[in-house]
Amino acid sequence: MMKKARKNRSAFSGKQVISGNHAVSYGVMLARAQVISAYPITPQTQIVEMLSELCASGQLKAKFIKVESEHSAMAACIGASITGARTFTATSSQGLALMHELIHWAANARLPIVLADVNRAMGPGWSIWTDQNDSLSQRDTGWLQFYCESNQEVIDTIIQAFKIAETVYLPVMVVLDAFFLSHTSEPVEIPPVKLVDKYLPSFKPDIKMDIKSSHAFGGLTTPEYNFELKYKMQMAMEESIKVAKKVDRDFKKLFGRGYGVIEPYRCQDAEIILVTSATITSTSREVIDDLRRRNQKIGLLKIRMFRPFPAREVVAVLKNTGKVAVIDRNISYGAGGIFCQEIKSAFGNQTNRPVIFNFITGLGGRDVTPQTIMEIVNYTKKNKYPKEPIIWIGLKK
Amino acid sequence: MTKILNLRTARDLPRWAISLGTTLYNKTGTWRNFRPVYENKIPPCNHACPANEKIQGYLDLIIQSAAGRTSASLQKKYTQAWFLLTEDNPFPAVCGRVCFHPCETACNRGFYDESLAIHNIERFIGDYGLSKKLKLKTKKLKKRKKIAIIGGGPAGLSAAYFLAQNGYRPTIFEADKQLGGLLASGIPAYRLPKNILQQEINAIIRLGVEVKTNVRIGRDKLLENILNNHDAVFIATGAHQERTLNITGEDAIGVIPALKFLSDLNTGRKIKLGQKVAVIGGGNAAMDAARSILRLGKEPIVIYRRTKNEMPAILDEINDAEEEKIKFIFLAAPVKIITMNNKIVALECVKMKLGKPDASGRRTPLPVKDSNFKIKVDNVIPAIGEQPDFSFLTAGIKTTDRGIQTDEFGITNIPGIFAAGDCVTGPRTVVEAIGAGKKAADALIKYLQKGKAVPEAEQDEKVVQFEQLNQNYFEPTPRLWPEKLNIQKRNKGFKEVYQPYSGKEVETESKRCFSCGVCNRCDNCFVFCPDMAVLKKNSYYEYNYDYCKGCGICVLECPRYAISLIEEKR
Repeated sequence: MMKKARKNRSAFSGKQVISGNHAVSYGVMLARAQVISAYPITPQTQIVEMLSELCASGQLKAKFIKVESEHSAMAACIGASITGARTFTATSSQGLALMHELIHWAANARLPIVLADVNRAMGPGWSIWTDQNDSLSQRDTGWLQFYCESNQEVIDTIIQAFKIAETVYLPVMVVLDAFFLSHTSEPVEIPPVKLVDKYLPSFKPDIKMDIKSSHAFGGLTTPEYNFELKYKMQMAMEESIKVAKKVDRDFKKLFGRGYGVIEPYRCQDAEIILVTSATITSTSREVIDDLRRRNQKIGLLKIRMFRPFPAREVVAVLKNTGKVAVIDRNISYGAGGIFCQEIKSAFGNQTNRPVIFNFITGLGGRDVTPQTIMEIVNYTKKNKYPKEPIIWIGLKK
Repeated sequence: MTKILNLRTARDLPRWAISLGTTLYNKTGTWRNFRPVYENKIPPCNHACPANEKIQGYLDLIIQSAAGRTSASLQKKYTQAWFLLTEDNPFPAVCGRVCFHPCETACNRGFYDESLAIHNIERFIGDYGLSKKLKLKTKKLKKRKKIAIIGGGPAGLSAAYFLAQNGYRPTIFEADKQLGGLLASGIPAYRLPKNILQQEINAIIRLGVEVKTNVRIGRDKLLENILNNHDAVFIATGAHQERTLNITGEDAIGVIPALKFLSDLNTGRKIKLGQKVAVIGGGNAAMDAARSILRLGKEPIVIYRRTKNEMPAILDEINDAEEEKIKFIFLAAPVKIITMNNKIVALECVKMKLGKPDASGRRTPLPVKDSNFKIKVDNVIPAIGEQPDFSFLTAGIKTTDRGIQTDEFGITNIPGIFAAGDCVTGPRTVVEAIGAGKKAADALIKYLQKGKAVPEAEQDEKVVQFEQLNQNYFEPTPRLWPEKLNIQKRNKGFKEVYQPYSGKEVETESKRCFSCGVCNRCDNCFVFCPDMAVLKKNSYYEYNYDYCKGCGICVLECPRYAISLIEEKR
């Protein structure tokens, strides 16, 4: 009896110290993915390595399809997902870029595939370290994107991602930083299997490829129809902000943890608000706590959901503050930080708007330390307006 | 089934580009320019077999036997294989041992890695039939026509079998005291154990064939008598008259023609041999004689006027002889047997060299001047070929320089008289005699039924070429050679050299078969069809031409060319 009870609890429950990559793997297992197809690439490899072991040992009853490239991995996922299977893949950097054509395909076919992308700088010069250019290059494809701050958030977001995807019929990308999360072990509360099963029932699509009911899939659409299909995708995107919020609320009720689509941190009465994503957020929290202890009115806004961009929510938090410092670990060459662009455009025609500073730092995996954040805070405090459109922090000039 | 949809707004549209209705109304078969059809073709092994054995068919049954995994299902498939084999050849255990297996030469696997060991599998099936005492199939119905078969060798016995299968009860007249012809008298027991041959002969006789042994036509009975008393006659007297060396000393005591030597050996007569025995010739009789001499404890020396490459014997036999360390002298021909008191003391030979190719395509041996040499020998066994003996033939039956003149169906110039085997072709092989006997029996039956032999026109046969197979589906797998008796044991008697396959081995070897041109239910067409237009029916397949677009993927992916693509004619 004792033995059985222990077995039921298995290795996958309670609090464990695991890496971000394994947090993804456990999340996928708890979500009971049915088809996994992936191609190895650093720093993602551990995710699918563990999943393949879980499949081989029978702990996860899923089909693991080995392929010869990321392009094929996504193709296999598309095929599986069309038949109604819960489907997962993981990749990084050039691997994600190689998938690009099928990234569009999956979204246009409205397939609720979940993809974990471990942010890694695009080469050459070759880098295996983190920045966000790989995932942000896919921002216009129709995929939802979530950027995670901790390994706990990673496992929880993977589970939420399937639920959101299967509600709005759009694929979801869960993004985590190379090494700072992927290869760093942290205590993670593994959600109990039974609760996850309750939270995320098996996927039953309303329409799927099935020989018992034959339909033509992915056919030619003339200008007469194609436009409307695009419109419907945007509608689904808009809808998914609401859905993501609800899915997160429900998650909090069952598991006691919630994240929101954005998270304002100590923003009340703040004169300056930092805007961050991913692991820069957790470093910034420390800095904010420190500054608040010294009675400085500085707050923090974490962007968790980047696509669709929760513009209304962001504006609501930022509109009453004086200055906003957006920290981007990415760059749209010839324009600037991508998060910053989104925020500026979110304010659009608003008259009541803060001064927005665009900081770029940490590209190619360079460390973003509390000192880096302080430098940003000090610059923002000192200057009424930014002296240049992009303020490079930590650059060896 | 179809319904008109009015898609006016985004709300009317599905989530993505999916047809709302079923696509079954769209009979894509109308797009087809080419039509795939399941069309089994002729495997090269079947085609090459003079007896037309359905080789691929019985290999498939052996493979199926492995799938059953129970002893009962195994035996059922083995039995089916035996019946399929004996439909065309009543001598599987014999041919599995002594046939020159042209099937293996033709086997497409030979172009890939190594041809299948078909004869070992055939022997396994034949032996299985004997061990289970399976009875050959026959029609119960008896037909009151009198048929005489002159000669109880493989051609005569084969004809007797096929006649009996069709309800006739022929009579065999055999000059010897036992049936079997050269199989009985010419092949030593280490290649063909006597009891194996006897059992297969008995199985034919048991069908109701009358046998009269010790009746030599022309000596004990005249051919005219037989012609008068029978509705049809089949002549299969073989080729027994041995060619002579035509050299001085050939009449000495101690010169024993090969067939006489082998016959004496096989019938247990005493043979007096000295220590050194020269065997002249390079054919199967020479190999049989030499290897038998070795087993009698004597020392054979094979003398052949050409080289090993030109030897007409089966390659396996030559290799086995070499393995047994039999001495060969190539490029030499005897010119004189030196005797003393009519007893042999030595053989004088001349060295030969190869000149221009002759009619057979082999290079003609020419004597080298002043190259004579002597070897001390006690006996000389000429094994330089045989020819038919026609002393019994009635005037009127036409002959050629080889034998009796017939067409390919064994029809002679005289209605009601048929002939086949070595007496027509000159010395050939067992399986060719069996095949010829079968063809002639067919013609004979047609003659009896219609008063005239009407041979069927040859069909346009599609034999599968190696290039027509999709080789991507085959894994190189080495041929499984059966165990052989070790050399020491071979020298001490006439025990069979080649050991039988085990059940496991026969399965392993059969699975190497490509099944050229014949569907073996591999499912490739079913799996690859992009239109799900391949339907399974009773474990075989059918096309649903309503939807088959004729893309030809199934044809390409069929490993064995069992599907043809034909132009669609509408």
